[in-house]
Amino acid sequence: MGGGTPLHYLDVIRRDYPISLHGVGLSLGSAEGIDAAHLLRVREVAARVEPGLVSEHLSWSAAGGVYLADLLPLPMTEEALEIVCRHVDQVQSAIGHRILIENPSTYLQFQHSTIPEWQFLTAVAARTGCGILCDVNNVYVSACNHGWDASRYLAGLPANAVGEIHLAGHAVTEHNGCTLRIDDHGSRVDEAVWALYAEALRLFGPVPTLIEWDTNIPTLAVLIEEAARAESALERARGAGHADAA
Amino acid sequence: MPTLLELQRSISKAILSRETDEAAHLFVGDGLIPHERLNIYRNTFLAGLTSALRISFPAVHRLVGAEFFDGAAQCFIEAEPPQSANLYLYGAGFADFLARFSPAASLVYLPDVAHLEWAVNCALHASDAAPLAPECYTAIAEADPARLMLAPHPSLTMLRLEYPADAIWRAVLAEDDEALSAINLAAGPCWLLVERDAEGIEVSRLSEAEWRFASALSAGETFATATDRAGTIDMPLLFAGHLAAGRFVGFRIVATQFPSWESPT
Repeated sequence: MGGGTPLHYLDVIRRDYPISLHGVGLSLGSAEGIDAAHLLRVREVAARVEPGLVSEHLSWSAAGGVYLADLLPLPMTEEALEIVCRHVDQVQSAIGHRILIENPSTYLQFQHSTIPEWQFLTAVAARTGCGILCDVNNVYVSACNHGWDASRYLAGLPANAVGEIHLAGHAVTEHNGCTLRIDDHGSRVDEAVWALYAEALRLFGPVPTLIEWDTNIPTLAVLIEEAARAESALERARGAGHADAA
Repeated sequence: MPTLLELQRSISKAILSRETDEAAHLFVGDGLIPHERLNIYRNTFLAGLTSALRISFPAVHRLVGAEFFDGAAQCFIEAEPPQSANLYLYGAGFADFLARFSPAASLVYLPDVAHLEWAVNCALHASDAAPLAPECYTAIAEADPARLMLAPHPSLTMLRLEYPADAIWRAVLAEDDEALSAINLAAGPCWLLVERDAEGIEVSRLSEAEWRFASALSAGETFATATDRAGTIDMPLLFAGHLAAGRFVGFRIVATQFPSWESPT
């Protein structure tokens, strides 16, 4: 787990705020299994901060004993589904906490994939009892890159399993006349993603939302503006919830 | 249809070595040639790890410039990719890699600066540990030096470097050109102690004898052996200084290595 200043700051922050623990390194989709030493570190941090939410990605990062430091795409097959479910079970029992699984942004699709990604996520949630972290920007990026229907993706997720939403900016790149959207967390949330977020809130209710911005970091005022925009959408969703109840 | 294991090994190979042929037939083209899609992942892999190295080796980065650093980092990443998701501890072999990296051969002091930065990085992220409590001092003072061993604080590293890497490191990070030009590369080896205390990271220069003593103790030698390594210095004073600075966090009295010396009673 390490110590020093980073751990000290984490402890100080935890005194005043709840913490959402977001993993990028567990490699839930690795055929070779989960790195036991890394799982132990995550368990130590979780035991120390007692997080409100714990999340990881539907992806893999390690093969042949090498950690590839990226969220790599999985083939959407029964074999991969079985492996991911086994690892989600392993993580949930190791840390004693339900986890949320996040949909990644992807730039390639495998020829032998047979299951649409939203159905894959739905199946992982149903089989393991985990929740879903719906990254609305990633849904939009992958839908544009692969010609999926983003609205159908959102509508296909089990609403009661969605426990958190992520938003972020992405880059639009050209490769030999072919447009590819890249999730780089380096700009304002795209208007099309805001529209999809409103759709997500109608489907899932006012779910805790995080805006990710970790490259080309802007002034605090810009970040606060983005957060305020998400907060007002959440506020509307809360109002809609009350109206429904009445 | 490949198994997941086969698929992940092919893609891993493509990302690490640019050998994309095996992986390329696995996915849908959709207007882009397969190796361009793999390149997006390869670029993220290289950029993420290069940035991790840049954070751990800021003085090396400034000494060689961004372009050279990125090139060296890419060669290192391909030769020694990380084996753990704990990227704070990625780069243990970077200093030795730089020593073998011929384009950097003219910067003879560069590997030493990298060794120092690695020790600083390890000190920053080392686990916390409470220093030996004063209540233990009597037991330590009364112990047989030939059987007394001490456990160093996890942040402690002892370095013997050929070049004055500490002076270079300080001058480069402070952007102090005057201090940098005053450095004498031929001054001989320097004996350093790197640690984290309540104030942050400390890099201290020791005499050779002081270094040999602290180095032997922190490597798990007995107090008697550490004293022998150091020669003639004021050992009790020196040791009291280490204890006061919290450099040792545990001690044990071991069975003597020479049983024949033990008293029969």
